[in-house]
Amino acid sequence: MNIPPNPPKPPPVLSSRRQLVFEPMTGDLTPALLLETLLKRPGQIIYDLFHARKAALLAWLFVLGILGVSLYGVVVGAQAGREQIMIAPAKLGLAAFLSMLICLPSLYIFTALDGIDAEIRGISGSLFAAVCLCAILLVGFAPVAWIFSQSTDSVLFMGTLHLVFWAIGIRFGLRLIEAMSRFLGGHSTSHLKVWSAIFILVCLQMMTALRPIITTSATFFPVEKKFFLVQWWDCLTGTVDKGN
Amino acid sequence: MNSIHWFARLKILLRGDPEQMFAELLRSDRRAMIDYCLIICVGCGLYGFTVGIWRAPVQSLYTALKFPLLIFLTAAGNGLLNGMLAQVLGSGLSFRQTFLAVLMSFAIAAVILGGLSPVTLLVVLNAPPLGSDRNVTGHSVVLLTHVFLIAYAGILANRHLLRLLTRSSGGYGQARRILLSWLAGNLLLGSQLAWVLRPFFGSPRLAVQFFRHDPLRGNFYEAVGHALIRVFF
Repeated sequence: MNIPPNPPKPPPVLSSRRQLVFEPMTGDLTPALLLETLLKRPGQIIYDLFHARKAALLAWLFVLGILGVSLYGVVVGAQAGREQIMIAPAKLGLAAFLSMLICLPSLYIFTALDGIDAEIRGISGSLFAAVCLCAILLVGFAPVAWIFSQSTDSVLFMGTLHLVFWAIGIRFGLRLIEAMSRFLGGHSTSHLKVWSAIFILVCLQMMTALRPIITTSATFFPVEKKFFLVQWWDCLTGTVDKGN
Repeated sequence: MNSIHWFARLKILLRGDPEQMFAELLRSDRRAMIDYCLIICVGCGLYGFTVGIWRAPVQSLYTALKFPLLIFLTAAGNGLLNGMLAQVLGSGLSFRQTFLAVLMSFAIAAVILGGLSPVTLLVVLNAPPLGSDRNVTGHSVVLLTHVFLIAYAGILANRHLLRLLTRSSGGYGQARRILLSWLAGNLLLGSQLAWVLRPFFGSPRLAVQFFRHDPLRGNFYEAVGHALIRVFF
């Protein structure tokens, strides 16, 4: 009797959120490989951050994150044109850097509160990876944003569109932080959810603190201090001053 | 027994594993007490700095000193009472262990607040300043941020303390009774001490001072009562 050969095993499913595969990265670490892995197999990045402990990986994630956000900033500044094409990327890069700096200590503390015993290096890397993933997605949205920015003068419309794109990007980025928690055996993510809310609020306030980003202004930094909700309300009601 | 590094101690506190915290309590060495006091000094000092800075830079320095002081005075003032309550309610903890357990919970809150101090600093730096038209909004948002974060840190610290007490006393109901009795004592003394050590936030209409001219005059509960009467009558 002929015995049928064993059918080949299907490849593991990688796409589902619950089935992230945490395994070592293969190949030499290059920016292209890093970006591809971050999009397709983010579990490998998390694994390497905590096991391989490559300083280069940490550095690339940080640099690519800031560069990606700055690149999107060119599109944001393109609506106003002139010097804003330079100012908007600088401000967005600075906002991303400062937001990470402000939220890193609390991220470490909140992961520990979720029962995770992790090194600050790996935690920093996960935060850089989250921002980097958000930045990649923003770069992906950049052509769409550019088309709209060239066809409308409405700052309110463009501001809303940029916020929607950023919200999508940061949602995926924060999923990476949750994946890190699962990888490290965290018993819950309740405190990380609170931290995520704090991080989002910090980012929104940072963008308000460094305004105007879309339009031009006489001064680099705003002359009036405002909370982001007040600024949005002023934009909606049309009471915002030029340059604020 | 080998002493633990302060950073490992901090991790044990944050993770809130009752077994590890209980082992810490059983060890209750002097080094642990010093570490917890240092954690409280740094965490509450950093946070206190951001509490006072909206009013004035000098106020931030005063509050950075007074916030840890408030914690230590509350823990010390209630040390005897907390130890007695723990023994009467059957926690199985000595006076020293009770004091250490209370210090541990304050240290947890201090670490959380210290970690969030960059966030509160951002809020304060972006709040409309005292002299601006929108200073009322600024004052309200800063105040609410502090209330929310201090409450959050306090709740987490007490949750970890409850787990520890459940482990030491062997029952949840007993642990809850002990915790509630400690909380009542700490709230009673802590609020009055905060009144004596005022100002922390600094009223926009009053001068910046380390203590008010008459710190021992009146009390917290009288002030709350008068405020309620003013609002409703």
